Amino acid sequence: MERAGSRLRMLAFVVAFMFVALSTRLWFLQVLAGPQHDRDARDNSLRTVTTDALRGDIVDRAGRRLVRNRISLEVRINRDELGDDREATLANLSEILGVPAQDLGEALDTKLYYSYQPVPVAEFVPEEVYFKIREEPEKYPGVEVVEQSVRAYPQGSLAAHLVGWVGQISADELDAPRFSGYGPSDTVGKAGVEATYERWLRGEPGEERFLVNSDGEVLREFDPKPPAPGHDLQMALDLDVQRIAEQELEAGVKRARTVWDESSGSSLAANAGAVVVLDPKTGGIVAMASWPTFRPSWFVRGLTEPQRETLFESPQAPMLNRATQITYAPGSTFKPFVALAAVKEGLASLGGYYDCPAEYVHPGDESGAIFHNWDGTGAGTLSIASGLKISCDTQYYKWGSDFWFRDAATNKEELQRRVRQWGFGRDSGVDLPAEASGTVPDRKYVADHRSVYPDGWIPGIDILLAIGSGEMKATPLQVAQAYGALATGKLCRPHLVSRIEDGGGDVTKRVGGHCRKIPYTQAELSYIREALRGVTEGGTASTVFSGCPLDVAGKTGTAERPPFQDTSWFAGVVPAEDPQYIVLATVEQGGFGAETAAPIVRNIMSRIYRVPCEGPELGSSED
Amino acid sequence: MDLVAGRVYADERRPIRHVDVFLLVVVGLLLLAGFFLLYSATNQTLKQDHLDPFLRVNKQMVTAAIGIVLILLMATFDYRFLKVYASFIYAGVVLSLILVRVPFLGSSAAGAQRWFEVAGFQITPSEFAKLGLIVMLAASLSELKHSVPTMQDVIRLCAITLVPLILVFTQPDIGTSIVMVAIAAGMFLVAGVRGRHLASLVVICLVLIAAAFQLGVIKTYQLDRLRAFLDRENTPADVRYNLDQAEIAVGSGGLIGQGYLHGRQTTLDYVPEQHTDFIFTVAGEEFGFVGALFVLLLFALLLWRAIRIAYLSKDPFGTYLATGVAIMFAIQMFVNIGMVIGIMPITGIPLPFLSYGGSSMLASCLGVGILLNVHMRRFK
Repeated sequence: MERAGSRLRMLAFVVAFMFVALSTRLWFLQVLAGPQHDRDARDNSLRTVTTDALRGDIVDRAGRRLVRNRISLEVRINRDELGDDREATLANLSEILGVPAQDLGEALDTKLYYSYQPVPVAEFVPEEVYFKIREEPEKYPGVEVVEQSVRAYPQGSLAAHLVGWVGQISADELDAPRFSGYGPSDTVGKAGVEATYERWLRGEPGEERFLVNSDGEVLREFDPKPPAPGHDLQMALDLDVQRIAEQELEAGVKRARTVWDESSGSSLAANAGAVVVLDPKTGGIVAMASWPTFRPSWFVRGLTEPQRETLFESPQAPMLNRATQITYAPGSTFKPFVALAAVKEGLASLGGYYDCPAEYVHPGDESGAIFHNWDGTGAGTLSIASGLKISCDTQYYKWGSDFWFRDAATNKEELQRRVRQWGFGRDSGVDLPAEASGTVPDRKYVADHRSVYPDGWIPGIDILLAIGSGEMKATPLQVAQAYGALATGKLCRPHLVSRIEDGGGDVTKRVGGHCRKIPYTQAELSYIREALRGVTEGGTASTVFSGCPLDVAGKTGTAERPPFQDTSWFAGVVPAEDPQYIVLATVEQGGFGAETAAPIVRNIMSRIYRVPCEGPELGSSED
Repeated sequence: MDLVAGRVYADERRPIRHVDVFLLVVVGLLLLAGFFLLYSATNQTLKQDHLDPFLRVNKQMVTAAIGIVLILLMATFDYRFLKVYASFIYAGVVLSLILVRVPFLGSSAAGAQRWFEVAGFQITPSEFAKLGLIVMLAASLSELKHSVPTMQDVIRLCAITLVPLILVFTQPDIGTSIVMVAIAAGMFLVAGVRGRHLASLVVICLVLIAAAFQLGVIKTYQLDRLRAFLDRENTPADVRYNLDQAEIAVGSGGLIGQGYLHGRQTTLDYVPEQHTDFIFTVAGEEFGFVGALFVLLLFALLLWRAIRIAYLSKDPFGTYLATGVAIMFAIQMFVNIGMVIGIMPITGIPLPFLSYGGSSMLASCLGVGILLNVHMRRFK
């Protein structure tokens, strides 16, 4: 038995190997992959069925609907109930839906749903599909037609940039912490207030949870949670004013294209523009238009290829909100803030008179840089008010120089600090996503952008800043906000939404009224307002407003933007005595401020107040 | 004087003084563990059907009691009588395998003709055929004239193996067939069959398996199971279901388990066939890695005793008997647990002492009885 003994030892080795193999595998399965299997075990038995909550409505200040919900019929298939009849059922469905069975199959093979969750395969189906399926249920095992709510836009494209649009949540959003609790098939606000107020509009989805065994039998039903509908948004917006603003902006832009521009040797391109109508006392946005625009309803059924190209690939970029997402040099609309800075810092006084020569050279500068008035002529010695009225530039160049010398001594950047008091260079805080904050060029900015400033910190930076030019950039909304502060003495955070209401009409939250006083006296502010009134009564905008009975204070602006044509600006306060509205227009490549932007503002004011304003449809070639 | 075996022992060699108590304790622990696991696997389903939750455990206990009686009976007479009656035992086994195929006598499920229905108990002859084969092979091997089996010997031994093997394979019962092939191969190896003979046997086996596939003897569901094992990603969900659920159950046990009667997969009945072939998943889920290792340890001790008995026996017949039984336990344990944790294809082999099922339990107990007997009478 000696040989048998050695062979038994071989057998023992084989058996030992079996135990090693089994324990190794168990280690991997239980200890290393244990947590994953634990989750799998839980997913196996716990089933959650969610019911979407009805998304909140969006209405204007008078309660008129901008966005509401409507019912779409959706065909869904439950894969567990489909069983072996898949091919036949898809063929039957294909016939009544007019969609290839292969497409339905692909929709059905999605990985977004658990096998027990019904998968949507067709939306917006006609009612007859519902009846056909109900008549012959045996032909459609596991198929159901359910009502699904989708967004509807009773006002068409009106306020498209403001309400925004909704769409299926993206993979990136799903990973973001603010979307915790969302499922992969959920709809979320993608732009406009739909995005900003997502958490209010969405409501709480209902949830039913079951413990099921392997046969799918429900063993235990946890207390169901009914869906809580989303809150409604009431906007500060006035639909009538919004419509006027959009119409006048488009008309103004199109008129500008007929104007011959001397300096570029072609017609004005006027490719885009924005209008802001602001209630300066609260910061409420009464209207905000951006051109070109789009239709939010395109997103409801999914974009067609031409729609997608228009929205995302055309150079017009119609989805951009020019009022908040693009910054422009504010040009001469910036001058009132610089004038007040000069007064506050002791460089000028409200009673003083200052030279307005045809050109200006920085003292001691030998580079040969000469700064011209916009019209190339001098106007003698002028008060601050008269300088604003004709938009004299050389007065401001001088103050820019003075600020630069002061700064060289004190290092305090007083001009920059002063203009920031009006909200420039930082977010306005408006309730719209992806707001641009603009720039106020200072030492740090210059240091960070050496490619733009090859010569570093030079006097020209302050000199150009004094006329709102160079790298000074602001959104139209920021300029409107600053004029609001000029009109009331308070800088208010602009807001589109004024109230959030729950389903019962109770106010859950009020938005707006975030205003703070600016450090300027009433005397200083009323001096500037009076000066700006002169702009429309004998100043650069007097031709435009000559036939208008309204009491308007305003300022034109023409900002250079090489290699493109000038940006046209007009910011107006009406009535100047007791300001109710700030109306501001900006037209990209729109030429002079008095030429394109000012008539847009005048027409809007005229229609808001229903008073006829006679005057040229195209203004004068004045800054 | 011990007259039972008809021979006279010196006092210190009396069989009663050489009972392998260790082996009995290990088997006792396995049985006990089996009852606990079985209760966990079956009580929920029974409760749902408004039946006594202890119904299956009680039945298993009765079978185990009969099994213990069989162990004791087996130990009372000298195992060498088995050699005398080997041919009869073998013939009886083959006959029962033929009879189970006769309609009205044998019962069938899922296209397989496998058991007799006797007084409410199912008797599965293939379980006992394994033991019959072991006895017959051990008898033949111990009577060989040459120390190294000749070609003729090998052919004769193969013929002995093939008759019950083919009957079992065509039931079809691939699981038991694998066990029988392993038993024969292992016993040939220990008996010293030449390497080249073993090699040619392997080649013949492969040819036969290929032929079985070609002739369609292998059923579609068996092919699916094999495919599920080899290429899991591309198998349909229903075929993969058993494997997935078993792995989730064992895996979710983690290091120390979910706690007795607290396994999600077990209590919610997610593992098909859990009380029979997949009983190990209960140990894995509710007692974790520690519990699973404990069960493996019990089997390791059982096999250590079995191989030790084969080694200690002074009688070639006793050595071969013990070897055959050891291989039977080893291969069943490895293939069953391996299948549950995904390193072996699904084949339907019960786990000795733990799986619910009368014939498997009784056959395993008879195997233990044989081991005990050889140990008691290991001196020539």
